[in-house]
Amino acid sequence: MRGLNYAAAVMFVCLASGAQAQTAGGAADAFRNDVHAAAGLTCAACHRSGSPGTYEAPPRTAIAPLCATCHGDAAYMRKFDPQVRVDQYLQYQTSAHGRRMATGDDRTATCTDCHRAHGVTRVADARSPVAPLNVTATCSRCHGDAARMAASGHDASPPADWAASVHAAALLKRGDTSAPTCIGCHGSHGATPPGVTAVANICAQCHQREAELFRASPKKDIFEAIGQAECLVCHSNHRIESPADAWIGVQEGAVCSQCHDASSDSGKAILGIREALDRLSTAVSDADARLNRAERSGMPVDEGWLMLQESRQHQVQSRALIHGFAVAPLAKTATEGRTAARRAHDVGDAAMEELQVRRRGLAVATLLVLAFLVTLWTKIRRLPSITENPPA
Amino acid sequence: MTRMPLRSWLEERLPVADVIATLRHKRVPHHRYSAWYYFGGVTLFLFGVQVGTGALLLLYYRPAATEAYESVQFIVTRVPFGWLVRSIHAWSANLMVASAFAHLFSVLFLHAYRRPRELTWMSGVVLLFLTLAFGFTGYLLPWNDVSFFATRVGTDIAATLPLIGNGIVRFLRGGNDVSGATLTRLFGFHVAILPSIATALVGLHLFLVQRHGMSVPPSVERRAAGDPAAVRSMPFLPHFLLRDLFAWTAVLAVLAALSTAYPTELGTKADPFAPAPAGIRPEWYFLWAFEVLKHVPASVGGVNGEFVAVVAIGAGAAGALMLPFVAGHTVRARRVVVWAGLAALVFMCVMTGLALTSAVP
Repeated sequence: MRGLNYAAAVMFVCLASGAQAQTAGGAADAFRNDVHAAAGLTCAACHRSGSPGTYEAPPRTAIAPLCATCHGDAAYMRKFDPQVRVDQYLQYQTSAHGRRMATGDDRTATCTDCHRAHGVTRVADARSPVAPLNVTATCSRCHGDAARMAASGHDASPPADWAASVHAAALLKRGDTSAPTCIGCHGSHGATPPGVTAVANICAQCHQREAELFRASPKKDIFEAIGQAECLVCHSNHRIESPADAWIGVQEGAVCSQCHDASSDSGKAILGIREALDRLSTAVSDADARLNRAERSGMPVDEGWLMLQESRQHQVQSRALIHGFAVAPLAKTATEGRTAARRAHDVGDAAMEELQVRRRGLAVATLLVLAFLVTLWTKIRRLPSITENPPA
Repeated sequence: MTRMPLRSWLEERLPVADVIATLRHKRVPHHRYSAWYYFGGVTLFLFGVQVGTGALLLLYYRPAATEAYESVQFIVTRVPFGWLVRSIHAWSANLMVASAFAHLFSVLFLHAYRRPRELTWMSGVVLLFLTLAFGFTGYLLPWNDVSFFATRVGTDIAATLPLIGNGIVRFLRGGNDVSGATLTRLFGFHVAILPSIATALVGLHLFLVQRHGMSVPPSVERRAAGDPAAVRSMPFLPHFLLRDLFAWTAVLAVLAALSTAYPTELGTKADPFAPAPAGIRPEWYFLWAFEVLKHVPASVGGVNGEFVAVVAIGAGAAGALMLPFVAGHTVRARRVVVWAGLAALVFMCVMTGLALTSAVP
């Protein structure tokens, strides 16, 4: 039976155009590894037969509804996966892609553009074009194409911006597949840009602590009133870079300086926050250098490293507290961090002092040994001379 | 009851004076090569240091995979002078291996293995093998990542032997892979089985040295044949013993300096599920064999290359053990022994040098 399916597939004539164009042989080959083939579906499940041995490609506007005949049917899909979602088509209809497709403009993405027409694999399969490591490349096939985006009045820079972001580094360099890609913020089937008021909710999916602090801060109402997109004001959207303490301040280049200057009360508060962060950073760096020096000298300072780790945790918490826009809680946490760093530094100091004690001890012991050797040598020289008797 | 001086009381029960008189009577040959004799005494001294520091470490060390690393960490950070004891134990092990090799090669080049000292030589060679076994079994005990993976590589070598190889590996590891069972097993070898055998063999070796006396090299013997006055000798007590004591004290000073200036690192705790870290290599005295195994081709004449290398090294060890019986007694045969010994020494040094330079990450 499976053999007949493949024979039929080989006879397939794809009538589609553009990126979806595929030869009959190519489609048949791709379909061999298709999740639908594994489920026992054949070409006829999606294609009408024009004449014996040939199949027609469905029009692009009909693809999503066609997929939804199965993928929107919970009773049917449950046979293959009891937990599978069946709302993709509903989501798609709300997306920018779906809304445009509904107008009859088929120059927008549909199911097969992201999942392939043939050779569809599960998202968890690393070969899938929508697997975490591949999905940005899939989106950028259109959204990174300047000509295509210009035609619809969009900017083609987001994929490149994302590639330079801290999120891309987490995914591509550290292999953290939980790091957000395009679909992490825009959604997949319901892909659409989040509105100004929704951005903070999107970021809060992962950055919960920062979101809590921001929502409780006076900035929340101010940003809403002036129509600012909360997180994006300081962090940007696609090109989200690793934040630095230098961002805090009223000097040129600091993100706070977009709205604040040094003469205002808020400017003084910002300087207070920056000072607390800088003092903590200095304490952490000093302790780190001290412990490294002690360790390079052969002294075990594991306890110090634990304390420094605690200090670094306070540093992370302090940086998160920036989102509360209040000096006192941040200063308190930073002070706790400095105390831990000081204790770590003390461990390094104690190790270096111990090293000096050891060296002095060695010097004294060496002198004693040398004195003993001299005494011994003197004694040997004073022994009666060696006789000339051969051994027995 | 008459009062008896303590010395007389002791002498009546423990006749030390007889022993001292014997040692005063005993004479040791003194010639241009006699400095090499002291390596035997230095090796014995370092063995004593090993026993002493090992016993102290045993007070705190716990031989289990979950506790070994932490117990060594406790020793070097919390126990007063624990760092020094551990460092001396590690450094004296290295110096003992070096001293034992120096002793073996000096005995070889001075032809001291000749009749009637065949058993002295053989017991000495076995003691050297035991010293290496001490090093191998002790390497894993801190349970850090380098020692863990080096032990895995080291025990794997035995698997190249046909029929018995896998059995030996399982015996050494106490299972299919290096684990807590391996640690416990090697600990048992390190602190019980090997010391028992080594102590017995050291006793036999010393007895044979006392029984047969120090050997005189053939060249000195030839001179003595023409002129008996050409070979001098000294009393064992106090002349030789004081010189021995001088050498031991000097070694102790070196040991203290090395242990203080370069304390042995503990590294990071072994994680059996982590990938092997870069730069895995055995202790320096196994490096030459490690390098040989690296360079040997996969197949030598259709036979597994590693197996050929292991057999060749084993044959070399067997040849060293049986040297007194395979070496001839002629001058020419002695020259062959010297050249063979030199070739082996140079080969080992070159291979060790290659391993040290190539292992730099």
